[in-house]
Amino acid sequence: MSVKQALLALLEQEPMYGYQLRTEFEARTGSAWPLNVGQVYTTLTRLERDGLVEPAGADDEGHEIWRLTAAGHDEVAAWFTTPVARTQPPRDELAIKLALAVTVPGVDVGTLIQRQRSATMGALQDYTRLKRQADASTGRTDLAWSLVLDSLVFAAEAEIRWLDHCEARVRRVATESTPLIAPARFERDEQEAGR
Amino acid sequence: MSPSSVVLRLHGVTRVHGEGATRVEALRGVSFAAHAGELVAVMGPSGSGKSTLLTIAGGLDQPTEGRVEVEGTDLVALPRAGRSRLRRTSIGYVFQGFNLIPALSAAENVALPLELDGTRTRAARQAALRALEEVGIVELADRFPDDMSGGQQQRVAIARAIVGERRLVLADEPTGALDSETGEEVLRLLRARCDAGAAGVLVTHESRHAAWADRVVFLRDGVVVDESGCEPVESLLETSDAR
Amino acid sequence: MSPLGWLRGWLRGWRLPLRVAARDARRARGRSLLVLVMIALPVAAVAIADTVYSTADVSGTEVLERRLGGAEALVEVQAGGGQAYQKPDPEDGSAYDGEGDARPLTLRAVQRILGGERPGAVLAQGWVRFDTELGLGEADVVETALGDPLAEGLVELLDGRWPDDTTEVLVSPELLDRGPGDELVLDDGSRLSIVGTAQRARYTGQPRAFGLPGTFGLGRDASREYLVGGDPVTWDQVLELNAAGATVLSRAVLADPPADDELPMEVQWGSQLLEASVITVLVLVVVMVLLEVVLLAGPAFAVGARRQARTLALMAAAGGTPAQARRVVLASGVVLGAVAAVLGVLLGLVGALALMPLVQRFSSTRFGPFDVSWSHLVVVAGFGLFSALLAAMVPAWLASRQDVVAVLNGRRGDARASRRSPLVGLVLLGAGVAAAVWGARTGTGDGGEVAIAASALLSVLGMVLLVPVVVVVVARLARGLPLPLRFAARDAARHRSRTVPAVAAVAATVAGVVALGIAITSDEAQNRETYSAALPMEAMSVVDYERGADYGLHESAVTAVAEGLEVQRLRGVDSSGRRSTSVTFRTEEGADVLSGYGGSLGSGVLVADEVPGAIPGLSDDDRAAAQQALDAGGVIAFTDAPLADDRLRVVLRVHGEERRRSAAVLPAATTTVERGYAPVQGVLSTAAAARLEAPVRDVGLFLPGPVSAAQERDVAEVVRGASADAYAYAERGYQAADETAIVQLVLAGLGAVLMLGGTLTATFLALSDARPDLATLSAVGAAPRTRRGVAAAYALVVGLVGAVLGALVGAVPGVAITYPLTAPYGFGDGANAPSHYLDVPWLLVIGVVVGLPVLTSALVGLTARSRLLLVARLD
Repeated sequence: MSVKQALLALLEQEPMYGYQLRTEFEARTGSAWPLNVGQVYTTLTRLERDGLVEPAGADDEGHEIWRLTAAGHDEVAAWFTTPVARTQPPRDELAIKLALAVTVPGVDVGTLIQRQRSATMGALQDYTRLKRQADASTGRTDLAWSLVLDSLVFAAEAEIRWLDHCEARVRRVATESTPLIAPARFERDEQEAGR
Repeated sequence: MSPSSVVLRLHGVTRVHGEGATRVEALRGVSFAAHAGELVAVMGPSGSGKSTLLTIAGGLDQPTEGRVEVEGTDLVALPRAGRSRLRRTSIGYVFQGFNLIPALSAAENVALPLELDGTRTRAARQAALRALEEVGIVELADRFPDDMSGGQQQRVAIARAIVGERRLVLADEPTGALDSETGEEVLRLLRARCDAGAAGVLVTHESRHAAWADRVVFLRDGVVVDESGCEPVESLLETSDAR
Repeated sequence: MSPLGWLRGWLRGWRLPLRVAARDARRARGRSLLVLVMIALPVAAVAIADTVYSTADVSGTEVLERRLGGAEALVEVQAGGGQAYQKPDPEDGSAYDGEGDARPLTLRAVQRILGGERPGAVLAQGWVRFDTELGLGEADVVETALGDPLAEGLVELLDGRWPDDTTEVLVSPELLDRGPGDELVLDDGSRLSIVGTAQRARYTGQPRAFGLPGTFGLGRDASREYLVGGDPVTWDQVLELNAAGATVLSRAVLADPPADDELPMEVQWGSQLLEASVITVLVLVVVMVLLEVVLLAGPAFAVGARRQARTLALMAAAGGTPAQARRVVLASGVVLGAVAAVLGVLLGLVGALALMPLVQRFSSTRFGPFDVSWSHLVVVAGFGLFSALLAAMVPAWLASRQDVVAVLNGRRGDARASRRSPLVGLVLLGAGVAAAVWGARTGTGDGGEVAIAASALLSVLGMVLLVPVVVVVVARLARGLPLPLRFAARDAARHRSRTVPAVAAVAATVAGVVALGIAITSDEAQNRETYSAALPMEAMSVVDYERGADYGLHESAVTAVAEGLEVQRLRGVDSSGRRSTSVTFRTEEGADVLSGYGGSLGSGVLVADEVPGAIPGLSDDDRAAAQQALDAGGVIAFTDAPLADDRLRVVLRVHGEERRRSAAVLPAATTTVERGYAPVQGVLSTAAAARLEAPVRDVGLFLPGPVSAAQERDVAEVVRGASADAYAYAERGYQAADETAIVQLVLAGLGAVLMLGGTLTATFLALSDARPDLATLSAVGAAPRTRRGVAAAYALVVGLVGAVLGALVGAVPGVAITYPLTAPYGFGDGANAPSHYLDVPWLLVIGVVVGLPVLTSALVGLTARSRLLLVARLD
């Protein structure tokens, strides 16, 4: 799991204590995936059990410092050199929702898609705005964050593109056979009413 | 947002191409506004009428019905020469294919609208150099378009669109021919211009690029179907009374 | 591979390019039309000229009845001919050795030599004078057996009947127009009744009269020929008659002429009539025309090639060879050239048919039936095709070497200019200048003109190679120019394959116009400068060259029409006729004082005791000195150079039967001829004339004037009516020959048309090429008139650059040709005549160099469309 690998990767840089690890993680990923301290300590315990980290005493303020073992170093190296596997598609609520919407009668698929697209677009605009702010400075951490943002941007873009595609498919089906959705559903007043 | 800051306003614009069987409604009753300091993206698949919207906003084409106002001037009522003048002085265009004139150097291309407007060559060149400075390629001022990369050419095109005191920048797929990194550069420049007080309209089919805008207008079959943006979209509501 | 197989493969390689080219030609209508016009027009012009020439040239067995009538042979005999030599057609060449019997052969003698049963008739031709309503007219007359089968076809009866006897005649409509009435009254008083109208089958125009032998009483100077019938006359019989001093036009010989080497040596000349220099000049003209056509059609091919650039680049990317790319462009030359050639020939035939009646009016020989020389036309058409191919050659070559990557990346514009060709151009230009200098130095007769003509071609060719450099330099200089001009200049430099031929075409045209203009104007300047008045201004003289002319008659006739004009009799030494007399003025040392003179005073030496008012150009001092000399019983003399002598030796010679010589040294006043000719050699006082025993008589009338134009016309008419050899001359100062003005006009017109052609081609091709740029201009807010401005600027750049270059290049041979052209005639130029005249027709030059381009540019600006479809570009 990625939290485990992420902590190992952070410790690769220098030995740290638990809270510090959490701060670093969030700084680098732009708080995209919030992490609570409890989760950090649980993970550290598990890593120690597996022989990947070991305690390295305490700092001046009494925080317990963790560092990588030799096996831990190997694990980090292996992680960076192995591609992320896409064995099983993550459960995607939107995909499931659309799949059901086109099969359940009485659902306005067009409006559903457009509303989703507006929402995703809003998110995309937010990400882009964050990116613009991130671009203002040029630290190494900011690069890291900016890349994470890019990942989110591209994911959102992919979703919009997928929605566009769905819409085109749905409309084609609608014009070819029995109207699944009336073209009028795309008219503006419907949208206004839906708001 | 006060009405005086509206730079571009379209009122119930309809544009019909052809007659009878070949009749195509490129735009149907589109209403839309762009304010100073705002970048508006127009998104839609090909054939949705987004390019027509832009040509009408720039006065290159006339609507079949409706009104187009640029800084309070009604383009529809304006004679052809007047629309030309408006393009020279108030509207900047950025095209997908860059559309630089290969016979003119970068600086001359940028100075083109000013020169066409009768500005003295020297003054026009000074302004052009400032615009090139703004897009960061002042050192290429005396190069010819054929000796530049695509990104550099598009920067020159943007410089041409912002030279002088233009308050409306219209961009038609400005990143279309560029890779995503260079494309983002171009968007950043557009964005900066809008942040500096201009109104921008960006036509694109890529959501990633549209996301640079404050507002995104979705066009389908010549009709605005939705808008999204961080603003409490009061401009959106204007469209319903135009209908 | 067998040669046949190779050929088949080669042809197969052309099939696709030709198909592509044909399709392309149909699609790009305007451009195709342009090429068609540029090539078809010259082809048509040459085809018209050739067909008119073929038709006008009546030779061989063509319409032989116009020369032979119904006879087998036409025999011409010559008094004192001796042995004659002839070509199969004696009109092509004949000669006599002139040592024979003085008496010409009779018809009977001719019939005897030919042998057999042969009808014969005399064909005599001469001229007569006849009374007209106004005075005297002259008519060519033919006497022959009119109405006889032998003469059938020589004379066409238009109206009336053939004459029955020698009191009846037929006249031509032209003679009838002179108003003889029902009778033709000859100047010997005989009256002939007119029984109808007729015309000569071979000749047109001219008052003519036709009668039976003996009708007109033709004198010894009339030509006499014999029409002979019977069996065909063979070449051997012709040679027999030649031996007897006659030349023969034989139907049978013309139909089957002997080989050239069977001809007598004496007439073997002239088979290679064309001199080397004529051929050289002809070749130069052909090359120049070809060059002009190629240059005019070139831009269209260049644009076509660039339209196809992407296709060609894709072909190259897919593995096409440069040769294949070249072929695609060349194929358009083949297609358009072939169509243009055929079209041009057809146009030429139609044009020739239409023009024939007009041309006939200028020719006295009646044209033969419409005659098309297909072999010539094939060559002319081939010429058209060749020029199209040549025009497509450079674009094709450029297209085959284009930068594939640049084209596929959508970059427009031509490759960098070659460094070598401008150098070659410079060398050629240098050679041209050198040839011009050499030609100017060498002068007439030693190939000077040919060298100068060659220099014109060399310079123009060199210039064509230099045009790219000039265009690029102009583009560099355009930096500070207003936008449309800058845009046009830069664009012209970017698209050199299109611009260069157009500029070169304009330049070549202008070079030709300027060169010829300088030549003509300088020639004219020489004529003007060397003009010498024969009389004082506005004065008039009447001279009758007939022997024993009656000036009393003329005087009363002139006085009758020119009321209030003073008429003086001029007396002079009788230098004409039987007592032909010459007078020479010499220094006491014996040197002639004057080399030549020319005037309108009836005699070179006047006799008077008062200085005659008829002598022009005498100052008051001259006049006083001259009067003194005459008072002293001396003479006045014109001299080539100023003389200090106050006495001259005057030598008088009378030639002919009365042969004698007398001389005297007499007091003399001399006047130097500043330029041109002296109006007379000099004037003798009555005393001097008497001392020399000079034959003195009235030599003319002098009207001190001023004579008005109307009076001049009246006087001329009455004196012509009174005597056919009488001439009236009024001094009006130097009058430029109409031809000069016409030639200048034609030059300017032709130059304008060609320039307009070149400029318009380039401009509209450029405009259609620059459509995307113009759309951009419009999108960034160019007013509609900016597009017009750009169009006008294109025309101005092409026209002006071409014109300036052309004027510079044309000036070289133009100035050079003035040296042989205005070289002194060698006599009568006066002492101070310059050896060379140079006058540049500035009006023409400025008109062509500045006026025409500006005009063209304005025209283009006004007619260019200012509207553009923009939206298509933006979507």
